[in-house]
Amino acid sequence: DEEAALEDFFDQTIGSSDYIFEGDLSLQGPASQLPDSSYLSSINSQEKDLTEDLDLSFLPDELSVQDEPSRAEDLSRNEDSGVFCPPTESTEADTDSSNAVQNTSQFCTLPMTPMTPMTPMTPVAESSGIIPQLQNIVSTVNLACPLDLKSIALQARNAEYNPKRFAAVIMRIREPRTTALIFSSGKMVCTGAKSEEQSRLAARKYARVVQKLGFPAKFLDFKIQNMVGSCDVCFPIRLEGLVLTHQQFSSYEPELFPGLIYRMVKPRIVLLIFVSGKVVLTGAKERSEIYEAFENIYPILKGFRKQ
Amino acid sequence: MPSSCRECGSSNVVRDDLYSQTQWVCEDCGTVSEEGHLTTTLSEEAMSRSVPYYLSTEASKTPCRNLLAGFSRVRALCRILRLSSNMEAEAVSFFERAYNHPNFLRAALMKKEILGGCCILFVCRQGNWPIAMGTISYLLGTDSPSMGPVYQELTKSLNIKTTTQGITDLLESFCYEFKLRPEQVDEVLSETPQQLVDRTSALIEVAAEAWIVTGRHPLPLLMAAVYVAWQSLNPKARMKYTFSAFCQIGKAPEQAWRRSKDTVMKRLSELREVLCKLGRQLPWLRGNTVEPNTVATLVDDILKNHRVLLLRAVRNYEEQLQNEPLKTESTPSPGTTHDENDTDPPKVTDPDQVENAPDKETSDTELPPNHWGKRHLFLPPCVKNCKRQRVDEPQMEVTGDEDISDSEIESYIRSQAEINMYLRAQNELEEA
Repeated sequence: DEEAALEDFFDQTIGSSDYIFEGDLSLQGPASQLPDSSYLSSINSQEKDLTEDLDLSFLPDELSVQDEPSRAEDLSRNEDSGVFCPPTESTEADTDSSNAVQNTSQFCTLPMTPMTPMTPMTPVAESSGIIPQLQNIVSTVNLACPLDLKSIALQARNAEYNPKRFAAVIMRIREPRTTALIFSSGKMVCTGAKSEEQSRLAARKYARVVQKLGFPAKFLDFKIQNMVGSCDVCFPIRLEGLVLTHQQFSSYEPELFPGLIYRMVKPRIVLLIFVSGKVVLTGAKERSEIYEAFENIYPILKGFRKQ
Repeated sequence: MPSSCRECGSSNVVRDDLYSQTQWVCEDCGTVSEEGHLTTTLSEEAMSRSVPYYLSTEASKTPCRNLLAGFSRVRALCRILRLSSNMEAEAVSFFERAYNHPNFLRAALMKKEILGGCCILFVCRQGNWPIAMGTISYLLGTDSPSMGPVYQELTKSLNIKTTTQGITDLLESFCYEFKLRPEQVDEVLSETPQQLVDRTSALIEVAAEAWIVTGRHPLPLLMAAVYVAWQSLNPKARMKYTFSAFCQIGKAPEQAWRRSKDTVMKRLSELREVLCKLGRQLPWLRGNTVEPNTVATLVDDILKNHRVLLLRAVRNYEEQLQNEPLKTESTPSPGTTHDENDTDPPKVTDPDQVENAPDKETSDTELPPNHWGKRHLFLPPCVKNCKRQRVDEPQMEVTGDEDISDSEIESYIRSQAEINMYLRAQNELEEA
């Protein structure tokens, strides 16, 4: 029957322990842009961070024993139900896949270390099939030592410093193509990266340059402050209608700006929606916020599609 | 304080001030023994008990000069815009409230001037009296990039929410500003404002359906629409008048055409394009091609049947797209296999179709072959004229924790020789 067929399908795909997700999802439409495995590898790296820091003893013991379907239902009701144990025995594999079957809407096919809870992030949703591309990431880091900006500007090739205009050194590196503002207090802002890992790598490179210039720079409190993404819904949008129905969130002043500014409450993201169907999402601290915001706005925008 | 009088020697000396001058007077003989100074010395002022003005509890302090100037400016603007006295009073009180807000109290004078205009704009919107921002910025002598931030700061500081106004709200007051009544111009050229309003609103509706209204400044579009409307109400007589001539005849409000004439001409051509696309679907064309220059003659018919024409145009376009793969590339044949007998397919080959055929050489302004826009007949112009295709660079795949090679970092650091050269050059430049 249907469930058995689904289970077989999942057995084939998940059963092999070295299954690597390569982005081959047929759920997406032709116009979408797939996230590279860099995003998914970032999830892996996040897991490693989590397993290092988290004390997982709070997880219930029953997660290790999964031979009853009723327990599986309990799991599926759990918020962080993306728990997935690699199939050590064949019986467990069936129940695991039945877990997965019940969680098909939040289905994640990543190889995971056991007992790692993960909030289900859905880069691919059944509704839109369009994934916003990240365009800019702004992050800050503390180098934790006072810096002599004049000497940095003198010794570095890629630095500019004009104290009358701005009280920081502007430094640029080629790979990843980013710009950094380095202040004399030792704080640094890194902008222009297209992903979180690139931003972190770029910030480390800047810190290394400062180190090589003779300052005892450290790398403390790296934090992503803002993420900007954009995408195209591929149909024109009636902004006047949208501002009428969503008055409390939107602001549309054609004499000031051609796009509609939509301030979403949950997640707290600002979207710029244009008549051409292009949407810019900004104000996120996490990638998932951008995806979530777009999934929230897509059905609203579809309602204003002119048939 | 003297103890005895000089004249009579009595000790009955009392203090009896003459107005504000302290005096010590002998009661018996009346001589003034001693008197205080009318002026005070600095030490006396510091020690005295007189209270300076700024510490006094004087309730009504005189308002500052800029505030008064702002009031008179706001009142003058209200009178120019012919607002009711209620709204004028409301605007003035709102301006006072905004002026005393810390965000604006120490702002530059120009910002305070613009603030006056923004207060009027807000009050007008509250009272459902639609005024375009362009009008107010023209009266103030600024432009909308200057006015926009002040307006947004105003709404944010005072936590007020404005209602957005549509282009049709601005329409009526805009049309009434023209001087085209029968008593003002020749019979042939005159229209009552109401006729203008009706015709223009129908045109704006068609334009909105064709996506040339959303996201644009309303005033240039209104101006173009009024011009086409005026021409179409009496095409035989009025076709020969150019846009500039019309502005002079009708004494159009200056801000509409003085500054942004190029925009008005662009909107005019876009509007005429849309009308042509609809006009080509008319069943009773007599063999003349529908050209943008002469489409005003057909506007009457187009507007009466615009819904039907819109449906027809879209349907024909979709049919053409479907028949596209069946046709040969070289000649787009006019007669296709659709069953509309009375509707002739467009006499002039559809411009979108022409774009489809030579796919080999897509210039920068045309859409790429698989763009979703090809499926739509009416598109926002920003989609049709996409000048620059965004190129998504292939993403670097990094983990963020990779090793950073020393050579790469070295490449960003100057060698000692370079530093010396740089310092030498800097010294030479400073000496020169």
